[in-house]
Amino acid sequence: MSILIAEHLKKYYGEGETLVKALDDVSIEVERGEFMSIIGTSGSGKSTLLHMLGGLDNPTEGRVVIDDKDISTLKGDALCIFRRRKIGFIFQSFNLVPSISVYENIVLPIQLDGKKVDKEYIDNVIETLGISKKLKVLPSKLSGGQQQRVAIARALASKPAIILADEPTGNLDTKTSQDVLGLLKTSGKKFNQTIVMITHNDEIAQMADRTIHIEDGHIV
Amino acid sequence: MLGNRTIDRLEKMLDEAMDGRFVESNYDETKLSRLESKWKEFLGTSAISAQNLEAERHRLEQFISDISHQTKTPMTNIKMYTELLREEIDKLNGNASGDIQKSLNRLKKYADEINRQDQRLEFLVDSLTKLSRLESGTLEVKAQRSPVGELLEAAIAAVKQKAKMRNISFVIPDPSESMTEAVFDMKWTTEALVNVLDNAVKYSPEGGKIEVYISETDMYVQIHVTDEGNGITEEDATRIFGRFFRTEEVQQEEGVGIGLYLTREILSKEDGYIKVVPNNKRKGGEFIIYLRK
Repeated sequence: MSILIAEHLKKYYGEGETLVKALDDVSIEVERGEFMSIIGTSGSGKSTLLHMLGGLDNPTEGRVVIDDKDISTLKGDALCIFRRRKIGFIFQSFNLVPSISVYENIVLPIQLDGKKVDKEYIDNVIETLGISKKLKVLPSKLSGGQQQRVAIARALASKPAIILADEPTGNLDTKTSQDVLGLLKTSGKKFNQTIVMITHNDEIAQMADRTIHIEDGHIV
Repeated sequence: MLGNRTIDRLEKMLDEAMDGRFVESNYDETKLSRLESKWKEFLGTSAISAQNLEAERHRLEQFISDISHQTKTPMTNIKMYTELLREEIDKLNGNASGDIQKSLNRLKKYADEINRQDQRLEFLVDSLTKLSRLESGTLEVKAQRSPVGELLEAAIAAVKQKAKMRNISFVIPDPSESMTEAVFDMKWTTEALVNVLDNAVKYSPEGGKIEVYISETDMYVQIHVTDEGNGITEEDATRIFGRFFRTEEVQQEEGVGIGLYLTREILSKEDGYIKVVPNNKRKGGEFIIYLRK
């Protein structure tokens, strides 16, 4: 069963002479529980694609369906709440809230949603990501790799329909990257999470179950 | 808007259902009471389908077990009769002349081939049985802190004989280095590592060298297995761990394409994983097994 479907996505900027086709008729399907990577050089359109998939930007044409919902039908607050409930984001720059503890960061999306924290599940996630001993500290006290592990835990915590990861190891050294990717991969499998990861590095892309290449706004 | 009390009751109904302890509160002519009845009925059918699924899983496990058990005897018989056939051929071989000699040589080749295919079948049935037990949870993977050196030793011992036949040598870490510990199930992980080593032996050139070494990161102990074979192309790198996948170059070789899949499944049960270094990155083949520290 497909958890994410993107159909004929197009994103054009400008017009006439200055028309730029950032995305030109891209269609993908992601199965539930799958770990897929999208690989492309900078300027290939991969980030534009991820923004479309995550509802962070609107396509010029085409549609994105996540968990049976066509997200182009959602506007304003509804889209915002949809993203909070259904999509877990992992960014290159970690994006943790600096003023609250690691644990509070992890459960933040759940609490924003007014849901009860499933303690057993969260403990399992925390244990799996090897951050049990860091729960009380502020994010700034952690290394980059540890911060990204917290971000993965946060993405898993709210049991979203899909996790979108944008160059998750872009700011990390090779060794730390391997740890973070390994944990992303194994925790995704363990908790049956669907992951779509964007990267420019083919070795990183290889960690996924399936890889698609994007070039000049097309899938090749 | 629905009354707050109704919403509260609905939320409670859901919470109770999630905890598996929902009971209908009241029986009257209200819509809420009717909804509770429907809800109870829905939960009931879901529970039944879960039970059916469990029964189905059990039946399947039984079935696989039967297949594995019942195919053993005929496979052993095939092996035995092939052996007898060979002996008979050898007896005739001594005093046969010209054409008959040629024919006997061909017969011998056929007998060898039957034997090889029988072994392949045996390996396949064996792997499928293990896989089904692993996936159905009949056999559990129990990961615990264990010495990695012991794992290497056990796995290498299992393939040493086969390697020797093709003059392949092993370079392994010295024992003081293999004090490293990781979290894994000794028996299953040995199986996983043997599959990787077995591949390395199979695809190494005659007289080649297989190097096994350990490295570490914060979270993982990595076991590298490198050989002097052709390695895996980048294109095949994600596909080789699929079920029954075989690269085009090795279609003719022995093997059934289940070993690496089994390996990946075993490792994922203990929060580890495996990856291959494609042959555009290095000469020869390299697999890396990641075990949680």
